[in-house]
Amino acid sequence: MITLALSKGRIFEETLPLLEALGIRVAEDPDKSRKLILETNLPDVRIIIVRASDVPTYVQYGAADVGVAGSDILREHEAGIGGAGLYRPLDLKIGRCRMMVAVPEAFDYETAVRRGARIRVATKFVSVAREHFAAKGMHVDLIKLYGAMELAPLTGLAEVIVDIVSTGATLKANRLRAVEEICAVSSRLIVNQASLKTKRPAVQTLIDAFAKAVT
Amino acid sequence: MSKWALPEYIADVLPPEARRIEKLRRLVQDRFRVHGYELTLPPLLEYVDSLFTGTGHDMELSTFKLVDQLTGRTMGLRADITPQVARIDAHLLNREGVTRLCYCGPVLHTLPAGLAATREPLQIGAEVYGHAGIEADIEIQSLLLEVLGQAGVTARLDLGHVGVFRALATAAGIGREAGERLFSLLQAKDVPAIGEATADLAEPVREALRRLPRLYGGPEVLAEARHALPDLPQIHAALDDLDVLSRSIKGAAISVDLAELRGYSYHSGVVFAAYADGVPNAIARGGRYDEVGRAFGRARAATGFSLDLRELARLSPEEPACEGILAPWSEDAALKRRIGQLRRDGEIVVIALPGHDKASWEPCCNRELRAAGGDWVVVPIN
Repeated sequence: MITLALSKGRIFEETLPLLEALGIRVAEDPDKSRKLILETNLPDVRIIIVRASDVPTYVQYGAADVGVAGSDILREHEAGIGGAGLYRPLDLKIGRCRMMVAVPEAFDYETAVRRGARIRVATKFVSVAREHFAAKGMHVDLIKLYGAMELAPLTGLAEVIVDIVSTGATLKANRLRAVEEICAVSSRLIVNQASLKTKRPAVQTLIDAFAKAVT
Repeated sequence: MSKWALPEYIADVLPPEARRIEKLRRLVQDRFRVHGYELTLPPLLEYVDSLFTGTGHDMELSTFKLVDQLTGRTMGLRADITPQVARIDAHLLNREGVTRLCYCGPVLHTLPAGLAATREPLQIGAEVYGHAGIEADIEIQSLLLEVLGQAGVTARLDLGHVGVFRALATAAGIGREAGERLFSLLQAKDVPAIGEATADLAEPVREALRRLPRLYGGPEVLAEARHALPDLPQIHAALDDLDVLSRSIKGAAISVDLAELRGYSYHSGVVFAAYADGVPNAIARGGRYDEVGRAFGRARAATGFSLDLRELARLSPEEPACEGILAPWSEDAALKRRIGQLRRDGEIVVIALPGHDKASWEPCCNRELRAAGGDWVVVPIN
């Protein structure tokens, strides 16, 4: 049995066509069903639906053999306790966006950086932000938020946010501007190390088929 | 918080688990003994200067530290016994020729290796010093499989060779920092990031490094690697080593993974890991670390393996509950003789101290001694 971990929403929707190209059809729609384990047309492949940030955890501890997770979430996962130890063999080229530093339109970020001012940064990606500003030699106070990052500078909670930007429409609507790109983000296929060793034929077939569907 | 709560990732070992661990410890050390491995007991803590010698940065981060009140120097609680044993071989024993050493003891990690891991593994392992040839690797891997087999664990062995990566890195003139980064990307088989990191390298090394994370599978991968990798003598030697191992090691399914690298500043040749079905991480690891002894004044060929006995105990088959014999408390000489006899035969005889209900002994006893016609006989408890 091979278990594939996916998150609901964009990753699930963009992974479905890839799965179909592999001949894997999901029996149920996770938006309509309340089930968290979805059967497929193949008896030995099942899909579990977990929160996006939980996908690496499920795969790392063998609760799923393979998963699809954004490279933003993977970077954050790897900085955590026992975070190393996943195989990341494939860029699926879906769920593409950028991790950016954004500030209110009126905020003079460049001068603040030059003056070495200590700034408050609101983000969901605390480790990535810490690493980024440390590399720039900036002093920051990190404020962990779980959503609606754009609100933080508007309400005076923070001067700066680090967030995922795909079209920039949300930033614009809230009168924010992106000032720095930290990294490009896309979804990766991740594989449990022991699964690749102990269930190699089945797991390898899946990796190869994904690789073929992507290119 | 309750006063008796233990720190996270630290646990008591209770009797049923302790029994299994102790049984395995004896069993494994017996295997080591009959193969001629001598037991050493390095200290639980020593100066960090010696603990970190030749092991690299990772070890510094995973070691608990404290200050020695006698000297003011910083001491560390060992996170790995292997470097200590290497120090003993290189510096204290200072023998010529081959030395075989083994060890067993707790180690401490500042952070758990994973969310399911303990911060206090019970590390047991065996090392061969002074033989650079493949025979030592064959011996150590066979010993690992023998030990796992005796513990009732079916494992498969995954082989790698650090020499392949080192040959490519040297050929391309990759420096230490870039080398370490590439090393960790290869460990994660991060094909997209390896593509970016090798963009500025010249062929054929660039293509070889990009192929490396895909060169895994059964022993047939070795033939594929000979075609795919550049014609460098060190690569040929590494693949020859793996060829010999994959044919010589019996008793387990063998797989090869040329991107299976560990210990950038530590390992030097063949590396291996044992996996068991249903366990999300390797259950034993080992390999060659010929350079570590140099830091202690004497470079010595070295290869060995280690594993966490606590984890092995979880995998090995369930032990029956304690099967003791309950004996009444009495000054009777015949009874004392009989008890002595049973204990010499390896039986557990529990004296029922007076005034306790017989039921309270039941968890550890399934038989009892009863007087019958002037003698004492063992009968089932009913």
